[in-house]
Amino acid sequence: MSEHPPKSPREPGEDPVRPHVFDGISEYDKRLPNWWLATLYGSIIFSVFYWMVTQQFRRINDGDQVTAAVQEIRAAKLASSGSYDDSSLLEMSRTASVLASGAATYQTTCVSCHGPELQGGIGANLVDATWLHGNKPTEILRVLNEGVLTKGMPAWGPVLGPKKTAEVVAFVLSKQPAS
Amino acid sequence: MSVRTVQIHYNDKVVRQFLLATVIWGVVGMLVGVLIASQLNFWRVNFDLPWLTFGRLRPLHTNAVIFAFVGNMMFAGIYYSTQRLVKARLASDFLSQLHFWGWQLIIVSAAITLPLGFSRSKEYAELIWPINIAVAGIWVVFAVNFFWTLARRQERGLYVAIWFYIATIITVAMLYIVNHLSLPTSLLHSYPIFGGVQDGLVQWWYGHNAVAFFLTTPILGIMYYFVPKAAERPVYSYRLSVIHFWSLVFVYIWAGPHHLLNTALPYWLQILGMTFSLMLWAPSWGGMLNGLLTLRGAWHKLRTEPVLKFFAAAVTFYGMSTFEGPLLSIRSVNALAHYSDWIIGHVHAGALGWNGFMAAGMIYWLLPRLWNRPLFSTALANVHFWIGLVGILLYVAAMWVSGITQGLMLNSTSEGGTVLTYPNFLDTLAAIRPLMALRIVGGGLYLVGFLLLAYNVVRTIRGAEVVDGSAEVLVEDTPTPRVGVVGTFINPPFVFSALGTLFACAWMFGGDFVRLVGLFGTITSVIIAWLHFETKKRGWSDWYDRLLLNAAPFTVLTFIAVAAGGMIQIIPTVIVNRARNVEDRIQVPYTPLELAGRDLYVSEGCYNCHSQMIRTLVPDVLRYGEYSRLGESIYDHPYQWGSRRIGPDLARVGGKYPDSWHYKHMLNPREVSPGSNMPNYPWLFENTTDVAALPAKLAVQRTLGVPYPEQTPADIQAQVDAQAAEIAARLRDADLRVEPDRQIIALIAYLQKLGKSEPVRPVLAAAKP
Repeated sequence: MSEHPPKSPREPGEDPVRPHVFDGISEYDKRLPNWWLATLYGSIIFSVFYWMVTQQFRRINDGDQVTAAVQEIRAAKLASSGSYDDSSLLEMSRTASVLASGAATYQTTCVSCHGPELQGGIGANLVDATWLHGNKPTEILRVLNEGVLTKGMPAWGPVLGPKKTAEVVAFVLSKQPAS
Repeated sequence: MSVRTVQIHYNDKVVRQFLLATVIWGVVGMLVGVLIASQLNFWRVNFDLPWLTFGRLRPLHTNAVIFAFVGNMMFAGIYYSTQRLVKARLASDFLSQLHFWGWQLIIVSAAITLPLGFSRSKEYAELIWPINIAVAGIWVVFAVNFFWTLARRQERGLYVAIWFYIATIITVAMLYIVNHLSLPTSLLHSYPIFGGVQDGLVQWWYGHNAVAFFLTTPILGIMYYFVPKAAERPVYSYRLSVIHFWSLVFVYIWAGPHHLLNTALPYWLQILGMTFSLMLWAPSWGGMLNGLLTLRGAWHKLRTEPVLKFFAAAVTFYGMSTFEGPLLSIRSVNALAHYSDWIIGHVHAGALGWNGFMAAGMIYWLLPRLWNRPLFSTALANVHFWIGLVGILLYVAAMWVSGITQGLMLNSTSEGGTVLTYPNFLDTLAAIRPLMALRIVGGGLYLVGFLLLAYNVVRTIRGAEVVDGSAEVLVEDTPTPRVGVVGTFINPPFVFSALGTLFACAWMFGGDFVRLVGLFGTITSVIIAWLHFETKKRGWSDWYDRLLLNAAPFTVLTFIAVAAGGMIQIIPTVIVNRARNVEDRIQVPYTPLELAGRDLYVSEGCYNCHSQMIRTLVPDVLRYGEYSRLGESIYDHPYQWGSRRIGPDLARVGGKYPDSWHYKHMLNPREVSPGSNMPNYPWLFENTTDVAALPAKLAVQRTLGVPYPEQTPADIQAQVDAQAAEIAARLRDADLRVEPDRQIIALIAYLQKLGKSEPVRPVLAAAKP
């Protein structure tokens, strides 16, 4: 076994190194910094308590929590979605500010299937004479809200919310040929 | 007692080989990184070529950087330092060469198969099964060569670097084998034996600890050798080495589930993943402290010595990312950061800062010593350092801002929290595009720095004469005190640790009474251990000193420490909880055509950008639909929960759009999703679905427990044809004409199936862990 003195000259008063040297590498044996020990013990103690609080005293699980929250949101939406009727939607279709935001939503959400000129594509043509699912403004609103899942029209109500959905209906109404 | 002198000639040839391979694969891995970063911003860079698309190249980038770049660097460093630390030449020149060439062959075969779409789709475990076997074989060669060298050592004690190497070798072997268990369906394809949540849990037990035991522990060992050598200073604290080594290897293994926070993973596992990640902070910083404080008294050398600059910065980045890791593991932070670029920034602080800079420092230090000629240009090395540092900072800062921006936008709600502010996913993509561009700049700068290193290497070694190290050691022929089997297990540190762990398990899993006993027992053993340590300190340190003279018992104890966490987390989920892994819904098995489509999804690497896991978070549910239940992916071999949302989640995309939408979207995503960065997949419209492979695939799925009926190949063909004809007919109604045997039909069939499940009887639903 080989014993070399440490290569670097040590200053007087410096800490002792461990007796053995590996390929010229020696090791101090300094005490651990207090803040480091505090981090170590602190995280262990926290983990024990966190485990107890979450595993032994918790009554509700993540899934139920999220389901409850989403149900609340759904109820809030239902409460505010009844506020549109045929005449108010037609009124909105003549309001420039509503149309601007309706057009913006249309451009990001609807254009990929119904086309930039509402001429249709993957989805139905919205500016021809036929309405597949009813031509009253509230019927159109219902199609947007609930979708026509068999034909690939998603339910946009839950995604966009009542205000934006109604704005899109107003925008579509405003684009109808003047017949 | 006799003393004799032994002359040792080190095997430095294999070190030089690995070192040059490091440089070459480093350039390749980083080049692919810059390419795929560009693809995210400029979809045209996918070139409409199957083997150049992001989904196939991203695994190539990660595998190249981890296993080729860091792998070769690790082997060079381990072989160089181990020979000198144990004063023995590598045991076998043949095994060393087999190790080197075998590893390069594996890398080359990975670089060929991944772009061709041969993939298992588990991250950093994508390689197909024949290559898996080769990797395991070469790893055994490495292990034999290493432990045989230890057995022939002239230095009795094991230096701290060797501890880390031992932990690396045994743990990587364990992780790699378990996570790659699969049943082949053909020469090039297999299904993993785990499915759904089990596969996810095993995958991240592996994935997280690949980071730990492939990118961290070997590099810490290399740090413990090269930093004190380069600084010519003693290591800061031996007792810190002891504590941070054992706490690191024990704690690391448990933290894997933090990759699955807020998902369908059972809650207790999520909490273990989070708390153990928090407990990992101090052990990790122990390594950083020992690295940085070893530089005390040598800081003035940093001005002139690029090697020390690289080391100091690398250790600092290690400290930074091991602080960030626990932070990201807090469930509420993770709700924002998961699936976002923040994670990408986090891993690159580690990979570019810690691994890349440690590699650079080591290479610059080794070059003159292996080729017997001073470094070609120190100035160039300094330029490399500064360019690389700016590159990392740009990269990491861009990813932080990008990840937090996108996370906040995706989770943001308006109108009293009832609707998403940005219902269109593409709005959030548009917002981070400038940051993704900045990331290309940062990564590009880092690559330029590394190319400077490559140039420096070439100029230094061109025409230089290689030199192999040698040493003369005095050997005392005295018997080594052995600890033996009894000494290994009957000693205060082991007994108290084992008792504490057992009681803690009883506390975690036991019923009311056992739980109480467990808690009481845990606390008691900690207190007694503490008192015993304070009064009988000598006993503890004498035992450890004796342990360090015995490689085999040391290895056994290390193995026990690393195996414990995985066993406690995985075994209950795989065996005991099988029936509980369902919640209230169970997946409808894929039809043969859908299964073929799923294999395409896997092969194209769709999971690199799309998750299939709606978390138990309100914004996730508002955006994608009801949260994912465990049972909904229970038959998924491999699971596809994903780890990044470059595009939206697909768990419930089935039935959301008509077939024609998917058809157009796969041909040109921008036609239906303006602003999308997804590649085009024109070849799916030309290639035909491999129906001939289905009988073997279905047979394997059946063996794995998926309820498929026995079917003849003709039955399968008929079933495939019928479903394909339906889809083709629906497409024809939308004026889209495609032969029913094309891959796009199978893929559409799969995508339309996603999220289809059946309710299960309440008997199963009631059983909650």
